[in-house]
Amino acid sequence: MPKPEDYSERKTQLAGWPVHIVTYRLGTTYYTTIDNTDPGAWVVKAQGATKEAAESQALKDAQALMEKVKKSKPPTGCTSVPGF
Amino acid sequence: MATQTSQATTKSAVLVSTDWVAQHLSDPAIRIVEVDVDTKAYGEGHVPNAVGWAWDTQLCDTLRRDIIPKAKFEQLMAESGIGTATPVILYGDNNNWFAAWAFWQLKVYGHKDVRLMDGGRKKWIAEGRELTTEVPKPARASYKAQEPDTSIRAFLPEVMKASSARAAQLVDVRSPQEFSGEILAPPGLPETCQRGGHVPGAANIPWAKACNDDGTFKGVEELRALYGGAGITGKQPVIAYCRIGERSSHTWFVLKHLLGYSNVKNYDGSWTEWGNLVAAPVEKP
Repeated sequence: MPKPEDYSERKTQLAGWPVHIVTYRLGTTYYTTIDNTDPGAWVVKAQGATKEAAESQALKDAQALMEKVKKSKPPTGCTSVPGF
Repeated sequence: MATQTSQATTKSAVLVSTDWVAQHLSDPAIRIVEVDVDTKAYGEGHVPNAVGWAWDTQLCDTLRRDIIPKAKFEQLMAESGIGTATPVILYGDNNNWFAAWAFWQLKVYGHKDVRLMDGGRKKWIAEGRELTTEVPKPARASYKAQEPDTSIRAFLPEVMKASSARAAQLVDVRSPQEFSGEILAPPGLPETCQRGGHVPGAANIPWAKACNDDGTFKGVEELRALYGGAGITGKQPVIAYCRIGERSSHTWFVLKHLLGYSNVKNYDGSWTEWGNLVAAPVEKP
């Protein structure tokens, strides 16, 4: 039964927002998850044959997502809310 | 109404260590269940013999907004090989965030023996413990749930009263930026409310302050200082809320089961209910 190896975690900022990057290897695949630190919900995941490959893809995707985060403005009467 | 702080639950009654779980992987008397915010994580590898529950499809009513209905809960438990007396060991990612959500729902339906694996999935992986992608197929059990325990669940009218008459202490466990209304949702997540801010009178104690860096819960004295320092001592009823009720179930667990506060409720309607109400009072610092 495989065991996770090369576990690492670190924090950084993307587009001004703090993120938390966790990577580990299971078998021959590296898994990277980036979360938003508070509350820690994952925002992107990526896999790769190397740690660098997994993390660079995840960071690229997370950067694009975090650039879209808005700080609150006076709301309009018909704010578009995904899922509603 | 004032309430008394009951004897704090011993940690051993509601928490087990990763070591303990590693020693009980094949114990037929218990059932290990993984519940993650990241519903794909279980499929990538999980604790051997653990079943996986998806919070967004299996731990909720998929028609109306509500927790899992009683009949569906009984079915889930039975299909997971969990009998009424089976000890359930829950764990999950992100400090047991959604494992605590599951814990709360199991308590709503009266399951007696539920525990969290302290540190959750993060600690298990960081310790380099075995993972498998093999999904167990437990023999179906028989399960009869209790009627929902509303003493641990708050609905809107009670929260309104708590806010307007200070009938209970409100604890907003979201981030300071959500509490202040600077953002409407955590970065990267959908904005599901029309207004930002918080319920008037609420104290802001972010949920993850209850955890250490390795995902385990802080010690009782540290927790008592954290909440007591904000005036949340258990001498008055407490209602915890967040955005959709899952972070606050974690805080509910801490207050109710680690600190032993006797009257603690989780308001699962939370900010996605309050922040969408027409004419509801909103406080912004």
